[in-house]
Amino acid sequence: MARSMKRSPMKDQIAIVGIGSTGFSRGDRSPLSLALEASTRAIRDAGLTAADIDGVVATSEAGAASAPFLVASLGLTEVSHHSRPAPLIMFSLLDAAQAVFAGAADHVLIVTPVMMSSWNSRRAAADPWRRGARSTIRPIPEDAANANAYATWAGRYMHEFGASKDPFARIAINSRSNAAANELAAMRKPLSFDEYHAGRMIRTPLNMFDMDYPADGADAFVVTTAQRAAELPQPPVLIHAATTGVVGENTEDQLPSLKRHGQHVVVDHLKARSDLWIDDIDVFYPYDGFTIIALSWLENCGFCEMGGAERYLAEHWNEERQRIEIDGRIPVNTHGGSLSEGATRGTGHLREAVTQLRGQAGARQVEGAKVALVTPGGFFFNSQGAILRSA
Amino acid sequence: MADSIQTERDNSPDTEHKPAESDLSDAELLELFAGHGVYRDNAAQYRGRLAGQLLINRCADCDRYHQPPRPMCPSCWSFDVVPTPVSGRGTIHLLMHLHAGPPADGVDYQNEGHPVVVVELEEQDHLRVTGTIHSFGNREPSIGDAVELEYLYRGGAPIVAFRPSTYQPSQPSQPSQRSES
Repeated sequence: MARSMKRSPMKDQIAIVGIGSTGFSRGDRSPLSLALEASTRAIRDAGLTAADIDGVVATSEAGAASAPFLVASLGLTEVSHHSRPAPLIMFSLLDAAQAVFAGAADHVLIVTPVMMSSWNSRRAAADPWRRGARSTIRPIPEDAANANAYATWAGRYMHEFGASKDPFARIAINSRSNAAANELAAMRKPLSFDEYHAGRMIRTPLNMFDMDYPADGADAFVVTTAQRAAELPQPPVLIHAATTGVVGENTEDQLPSLKRHGQHVVVDHLKARSDLWIDDIDVFYPYDGFTIIALSWLENCGFCEMGGAERYLAEHWNEERQRIEIDGRIPVNTHGGSLSEGATRGTGHLREAVTQLRGQAGARQVEGAKVALVTPGGFFFNSQGAILRSA
Repeated sequence: MADSIQTERDNSPDTEHKPAESDLSDAELLELFAGHGVYRDNAAQYRGRLAGQLLINRCADCDRYHQPPRPMCPSCWSFDVVPTPVSGRGTIHLLMHLHAGPPADGVDYQNEGHPVVVVELEEQDHLRVTGTIHSFGNREPSIGDAVELEYLYRGGAPIVAFRPSTYQPSQPSQPSQRSES
């Protein structure tokens, strides 16, 4: 771990006060239309109007509008902070929180549309409205970057720890079981172990159920100071600690080892700055763009030892509900995660954590949920995490 | 052991597309390797392929190799970085089979799928290159297998590929020998 001054001046100072989602599906709306719906929902949810929003954090997700374009489209008067971070929600949340903490803006809107694209969906590839995203130059197949990287390192994980696909199956099945109660989710049909193991191979050893479910949709959030949050209608959710992390040798095929990557940096950083850790949490949202990512978060957060997920998940499995319940208490990805709710780049994980901490999750509500651990991102260039708490 | 790789173009299935020598213009290089991700900082490596070599950037000051090619040594910040031929020998560190992907001549995503490997080179710990593998005959390749480079040709462009190694290390450390001594 790099030397650190271990400061955490922003602890509990910034609150998420508004959430808005379109839900996720295979639809025919533009990313702008989805982004505007989510934005207006989130601003209204926060009890605010266009006149209050003085910061906009957009995303550089393919097809997503720039912040200035959103400012104009939402009819905002003027904003004093705008940015366009890389996809994956914690880049956006941290940017917005830091802008508020620094006094650059008071009420910052985060909006993150996602869209099925021609590279992750055959259906999208056939859609003339989405072809623009595809390059005319064909890449070579011999590539271990991006999505391919998780198949290669999943194979390495199985090799090093003698793991079977069973823990991967439990991650995928858990997501489906939870998504059944989430009206925003794209894929709500239950999944059996037999169906999982019969899934079409995409990149051996990973099959179609090991990958997030491409869908269209948008999530939006409003953040402000904890002080201001107390005057607004929703139960405030405080950002207790948040970080992103990356190791020096982070190129996918050059990562020295599964024993030290971005997830470990995030975990060490959070633990050093948080008063709360895994014994204190009520709900857990490990990113699951691929099953191997969620498995790894479980291990690297310290729920079990490295390579121990197979045994651990079998021991902490609720047979009746076909889902993970850590110590019979902590459910995992109660909204269905990216595997079943849709490939939200972690926005769904954050929105569901806020919903649970507000006590507004309906049939999915975890009784008395006060602390959430949200860990978006994979191993290489987008590992991130946050501990959220109710005020 | 920094000899250039002996390519076996005569045995290549694509000898009629035997590449020109590496005095291609930059534009010709980019065209030949379209889709490979050629840019200024790795162009020398692609030119090396045309000469049958596997070039890895090595720092002339601290002797460390690094991947992918960068203009400055990440270990000591020297800009005296030299694309250096390596043996092409190593072990399979990562392995997967693609069942879908970009169309490419000779690539079959059906059945067992198209193998992609990341090979850890013998020159330095964690120093790796990504490519595919030639047939292992009647056995399956697996992580830990010793392999060596043998370029395959696709549309005239050499593609990094490995075959099972026939190389015997000069300083064997086989457990059976140790136990006898």
